[in-house]
Amino acid sequence: MSTQTVDQLDAPIAQSSWGLLSWVTTVDHKRVGLLYILFAIFFLVVGGLEAVLMRIQLAVPNNTFLSPEFFNQLFTMHGTTMVFLVGMPIFTGFSNFLVPLMIGAKDVAFPRLNAMSFWMLPFGAFLLYFSFLTGSAPDAGWFSYAPLSTKPYNLDTGIDYWILGLVVAGIGSIAGAINIVATVLCLRAPGMSLQRVPLFVWIMLMQAMLILITIPPLNSAIALLCIDRWLEAAFFEPVRGGSALLWQHFFWIFGHPEVYVFALPAFAMISEVIPVFSRKPIYGYAFVAGSSTVILLLSYGVWAHHMFAVGLGTSANIFFSAMTMLIALPTGVKIFNWTATMWGGAIQLTTAMLFAIAFLIQFVIGGLTGIMFAAVPIDWQMTDTYFVVAHFHYVLIGGILFAVFAAIYYWFPKITGHMLDERLGKWQFWLWVIGFNGTFMVQHFLGAMGMPRRVFTYADNPGWATLNAISSYSVIFMVLGTLVLVWNVVKSLIDGEKAGNNPWDAFTLEWATTSPPPTENFTSLPEIKSRRPVWDQTHPDHADWKHSKTPEDRGRRPDRARVCAWAFVISEAIFFALLIIAYVVFNFDQTGDGPSAVNSLNVERTGIFTLFLLSSSLTFMVAERSLRLGRQASFVTWLGITILFGVVFLAGQAWEYTDLLTSGVAIDTNLFASTFFTVTGFHGLHVTGGLVALAIMFALGRKQRVTQAQSKPFGAIGIYWHFVDVVWIVVFATIYLRVYQS
Amino acid sequence: MIDSNLWSWMSPVWVLVTILLLLYVRFVRGGSHLQWVACLVGLFVLAMAFVSPIGVLAGGYLFSAHMVQHLLLLLVVPACIVLSLPRETAERWFQKGPVNQLGKWLAVPMLGWTGGVGAMWFWHVPWLCSAATQHTGLGVVRDVSLVAAGLAFWWPIYAPCDRYRLPPLSGMTYLFSACLGCTLLGIYITFAPLSVCPVFANPVDRLGILTSLYSAGFTPGIDQHVGGLIMWVPPCILYTCAIISLLGRWYSSIDAAPTYATGSSTPSGA
Repeated sequence: MSTQTVDQLDAPIAQSSWGLLSWVTTVDHKRVGLLYILFAIFFLVVGGLEAVLMRIQLAVPNNTFLSPEFFNQLFTMHGTTMVFLVGMPIFTGFSNFLVPLMIGAKDVAFPRLNAMSFWMLPFGAFLLYFSFLTGSAPDAGWFSYAPLSTKPYNLDTGIDYWILGLVVAGIGSIAGAINIVATVLCLRAPGMSLQRVPLFVWIMLMQAMLILITIPPLNSAIALLCIDRWLEAAFFEPVRGGSALLWQHFFWIFGHPEVYVFALPAFAMISEVIPVFSRKPIYGYAFVAGSSTVILLLSYGVWAHHMFAVGLGTSANIFFSAMTMLIALPTGVKIFNWTATMWGGAIQLTTAMLFAIAFLIQFVIGGLTGIMFAAVPIDWQMTDTYFVVAHFHYVLIGGILFAVFAAIYYWFPKITGHMLDERLGKWQFWLWVIGFNGTFMVQHFLGAMGMPRRVFTYADNPGWATLNAISSYSVIFMVLGTLVLVWNVVKSLIDGEKAGNNPWDAFTLEWATTSPPPTENFTSLPEIKSRRPVWDQTHPDHADWKHSKTPEDRGRRPDRARVCAWAFVISEAIFFALLIIAYVVFNFDQTGDGPSAVNSLNVERTGIFTLFLLSSSLTFMVAERSLRLGRQASFVTWLGITILFGVVFLAGQAWEYTDLLTSGVAIDTNLFASTFFTVTGFHGLHVTGGLVALAIMFALGRKQRVTQAQSKPFGAIGIYWHFVDVVWIVVFATIYLRVYQS
Repeated sequence: MIDSNLWSWMSPVWVLVTILLLLYVRFVRGGSHLQWVACLVGLFVLAMAFVSPIGVLAGGYLFSAHMVQHLLLLLVVPACIVLSLPRETAERWFQKGPVNQLGKWLAVPMLGWTGGVGAMWFWHVPWLCSAATQHTGLGVVRDVSLVAAGLAFWWPIYAPCDRYRLPPLSGMTYLFSACLGCTLLGIYITFAPLSVCPVFANPVDRLGILTSLYSAGFTPGIDQHVGGLIMWVPPCILYTCAIISLLGRWYSSIDAAPTYATGSSTPSGA
């Protein structure tokens, strides 16, 4: 139960201080959340300036303001920055700040992990931007298509920094997502059943789950690219038997769900803002929540619509086209829900609400052009033109960034305790509406006229100069709008109107505490008997629970260590699944006469070492049982045996590697060797990681510091250890027994 | 499709369908309209899986038709059968010890999941896939096992008695992971360069329609491509629909008695 688990949380340190050190060392979810948001806004400005430079270059035909090389670097860095350093962190920031408040918890499930997740991000950003100092920033697009990103075509270090930066930031994202999942599942206040959480919380839970399954394919792809570039394998080099298409598959298996990683939080924010300013509960809560779940499920099956033009075959195109049109349904449902929420409501046109309404309209435009792209012939005609640029900027800016602005105006009073100026807010709103639509609406026409994207300049074709000039000059409005926002924030912080606890007469728990909330978030909570506990408290005569029933809380809260372990294991499983798929792809028909699984591997010997690894799972279970029953000596002994078995397995792997290397089979020999070393090497790394964790437990156990009370965290390590074994069973069956060829 | 060669009106499946219909009329009492519809749709689909061109082409001509038949037998027919059983009748049947035991046994999620997903994988081991297409006896074993596996698969989701059903959230995990299972198989079949079911690569032209199939674009490569996609996309859509129904069930489960005192006014962890 939550009360027990959260008691273990240590009080965050140095909270009363506002010095720099207190921010660096903070583990308070609100401050970590703010750090995320500030970080994202900083890079929004950086990425925005990159866009401004590009628009200056494109303002007139045949311009020479930027060199083609620098233009390539700019659009690559603009995309990468906006996706990884703005889109991901800004939502993680809001989620960090708001989710614990909305579910009535004191903090996230793992505050220290939360701080680590954040600090990975500046580290990753530093690596990425350091590339400018080397003189060659990444320039292969935010998707780093192979073979352009491989060594023969890209000798400089830019792509290497791109790889490093993304891996580091990706680790932080996964850890952050695990934290949100564990927080929502384990730390909800009594009375708040999962069916009663605010839509923001439910949708952010779905988003966190989506991050868990969507980042690993990117990591797999990046691992392979890294091995290509640094160890001279050839996964993505067609000349040496590799497959450039495989990169596109892996990248878009990540890349398309990533769009929903951004879209879902925007939906989450809008689902809070619109009901409050329509003075009504959301229309069709279950539909909004359920359709978000469906998006999570479907988003994984539509990636190939980014690849209609590469020649997958008509049948594949038709199916992916159909799937893509299907995923429009759960998104469309929400548009109706929000519209129906406003229908008949007492609408208050605050700045937040204006941004939310603009979101609805502009997101629908972006969505409709998206559905156009789902039709294969239109995609063939329009792909790689400015129509695509217009489409996804309508989704990402007109939709998602406008939702973020709505969220900023809505929650700023809670975060700082001061109101933002509504008059300035409306100035910002109109400047952005004009600037955004001016910049991107005309790009639809440019795209339809055939202007290709990702080119540094264009010929003076009829009409192109005018439309590009409109597009470029409109950017000025967005820049001005941003300055207005900055001025508004500064002004509010200096002498803004005091907000009070609940300035909008809003519905959810974050408004039940002071603005800004105290370190421990709440001194007391209202009774939670519906989806709008604060409304129930402030309007007892019209309380929701009196007329519409929602499922009661049954009080079940899973153990957070186990939730963490399972979430991590699912994410890792997907990472391995893609590596193993890569193995199967490259070893399907071994016709060459180089090394192969048949002529290079000693199946019997590895089989014996496999038995050691599998036995270690059994000995672990015995150790776990001993710990649960309080038999300390037996626990330490069996844990020691588990570690020993693990070490024997690794020794066996070392033996095998030595044999292969001495007989001239190295990672760059051929694709069998590359995939073999990659899959078994990553598995070996995971075994090593598991052994380190077990060794720490062993050392603590010998000093009597792991006792019966710690059997749950120990069990969580067990989940990981068993997982490593299961992965090996699949690896053994695939590589050594070659079941896929039976 | 109108070509009479492509229909197998004399299929013995009619006998089975008639028997099942008679059994339903005789033993099932109190079925709602929807349950009757489910029963009739299920039996119709069962018949069409063998009588229509799907069944005929699945007999050694088109891998994609084989795949459609496979999915009808594994997913659609069993789902209809399970959904057609009224609660009262089922409660009466499953009262007795051994039958109740069977119901409980079927409700073990690992069993249903392994049955449902495993059957897809198992019958696509290349030599087995070919053998079951070429030998009638093995073909019958395969078809029966598909329906049985499908019943086991849907039981924890749509069993007529509540006590056999998984809680909605677990049910969603069950279905989502099944979707991943068939996605992996679908990807494998779609993109595999070799023939997953070799018998379809060199069909014996019993009916003299091979040339027209090939000229319509159904060459073995394309055929397997389509087959893999059929394995992949429609089941996932079906699972997603089932997940939506579970979500509906979950959000409307307001009658459940609270087992936990609400109304505490302390934040969690305070």
